[in-house]
Amino acid sequence: MNKFLTMIIVAAFVAVAASAQTPAWNDIKGEQLIALQTKGDPARGQAAFEPCEGCHRKDASGRTSGAYPRLSGQHGTVLIKQIADIRAGRRINPKMEPYIDDHALTPYEIADIAAYLQGLPISAENGKGPGAGVAAGKQIYDKDCATCHGPGGEGSAAQFYPMVAAQHYRYLLREMEFIRDGDRKNSNPEMVKVIKPYTNSELETVADYLAQLAPPKK
Amino acid sequence: MKTVDRNLVRQATPGRGVLAAAAMLAALAAGPAAAEDAKTIAGTVCVACHGDNGNSVIPMFPKIAGLSEQYIVKQLRDFMSGRRKSDVMGPIVSQLKPEDVAPLAAYYSSQKPTAGEADDKKAVSLGKLIFFDGNEDTGVPACVGCHQPQGAGHSVYPRIGGQHVPYVMQQLKNFATGDRANDPSRYMRVTAKRMSEEEIQSVAEYLVGLGAK
Ligand code: HEC
Ligand code: HEC
Ligand code: HEC
Ligand code: HEC
Repeated sequence: MNKFLTMIIVAAFVAVAASAQTPAWNDIKGEQLIALQTKGDPARGQAAFEPCEGCHRKDASGRTSGAYPRLSGQHGTVLIKQIADIRAGRRINPKMEPYIDDHALTPYEIADIAAYLQGLPISAENGKGPGAGVAAGKQIYDKDCATCHGPGGEGSAAQFYPMVAAQHYRYLLREMEFIRDGDRKNSNPEMVKVIKPYTNSELETVADYLAQLAPPKK
Repeated sequence: MKTVDRNLVRQATPGRGVLAAAAMLAALAAGPAAAEDAKTIAGTVCVACHGDNGNSVIPMFPKIAGLSEQYIVKQLRDFMSGRRKSDVMGPIVSQLKPEDVAPLAAYYSSQKPTAGEADDKKAVSLGKLIFFDGNEDTGVPACVGCHQPQGAGHSVYPRIGGQHVPYVMQQLKNFATGDRANDPSRYMRVTAKRMSEEEIQSVAEYLVGLGAK
């Protein structure tokens, strides 16, 4: 049922987005709009995902080292936005870029891949942090992050907020630092404001906390 | 039907081999019946370099047994159009008729590929790492993602398991320099460019031992 619900939410959102203004960090147009409006086909998505498996693994669980993020179970809307942002250079990812540029993927294949990935099970064997920061990290997270990313780190498909629970520790930490330091240009400015004051060691505790959360139920 | 003295062609320099093969094809060009033709061409022309049933024994000549039909068709067409450049295969395909391509591909793809053995056993462990994990620091993706377990390949991704070491190394270098540029979406040009000389050699030593299942 969840997938159906997501589809309705996305359809509603896209309708709004197409008529009204969308925020600068998520200006839905061009191929992102096309991909969001396309009903992705998971079977075709599985085939289109093959060139990605060399880095993100066959089950899309990524690498426990955090070099490559887990993609399985992530919201389709988030995946589409991130891929569109990376292709447009709004988010810099030189390792991946040649494998997903417009020689390699059409907007329709992006929709297929997103439909495939969002339905995959989430592994709990992700890269964990040291564990000592979990309590401190939870405090920060509940205070400043849960409003958007959800009490259990589940994120929001309709709002394009990524699921952050059970992601690899090193990846989470790296992205938080990128977003805080302005190195991820597609970030939500509200989040940038909220995360600005935190030191590296504080962010380590947040990543520690998020990495050990149970995979959200879907 | 005339036959070619295999040993003679095998011992010949590539240049003379090519001439002999091309002449052979020109002689065959009159015959009808596609599938039979393909077998004849394979057994008289291609055999000189690609061996019996496509399992070449000369390391610079690729094994073509068990490559997918789709891949063989694409390569022969790419040689014909010049998208894939080869001084050796170029003159040979120029003598093939377009209608020979599909039956030749069907023939070789149905042959059973053989595995080989690594010369440099020490390189195999790094090669295995590259095959299954790639290199996270330099962004080399794991080969297994596209080329499948055992390097067996499927759809557009060719079988690379069991392939000769020098051939694999040469192709990776050709992709890296762009001398071979017929890969879809530039997948192999990007991948090979990120590989070190040592990684190229090691992965080739690992691949050669991957067997036909
Ligand atoms: C060469 C390795 C490589 C390949 C191949 C690759 N990726 Fe990635 N991908 C990465 C890296 C590295 C990152 C994280 C970059 C960063 O740290 O910001 C990433 C991040 C992503 C993200 C963002 C995830 C998030 O949580 O924000 C998505 C979506 C993604 N990849 C999808 C794909 C798809 C789809 C393909 C295949 C078409 C693919 N990738 C192929 C290396 C790769
Ligand atoms: C106003 C809503 C909002 C708040 C508050 C917020 N975030 Fe985010 N966060 C986002 C959005 C939206 C993105 C994706 C940005 C983009 O599209 O690139 C994101 C991305 C992330 C990512 C990267 C995820 C990935 O897969 O690449 C991490 C990690 C993260 N946030 C952690 C946090 C933490 C920790 C806090 C609290 C300190 C926080 N966020 C507060 C909205 C928010
Ligand atoms: C004189 C030796 C020679 C003969 C005869 C020959 N080939 Fe080749 N073949 C080669 C070489 C060398 C290559 C590798 C070309 C390169 O460097 O890219 C090759 C490559 C190929 C490939 C691509 C293999 C791959 O893995 O990408 C195919 C398919 C092929 N040959 C089919 C044939 C067929 C069919 C015939 C008979 C009509 C034939 N060849 C005759 C030497 C030969
Ligand atoms: C993103 C997908 C992808 C990845 C990852 C990948 N390959 Fe390839 N590879 C291809 C494709 C597609 C071709 C066929 C090119 C063509 O059609 O001519 C190919 C061709 C090759 C060939 C030439 C085969 C022949 O018979 O001529 C070799 C050798 C090769 N790859 C080795 C590797 C190695 C080693 C790795 C890991 C380091 C690797 N590949 C990773 C997609 C990939």
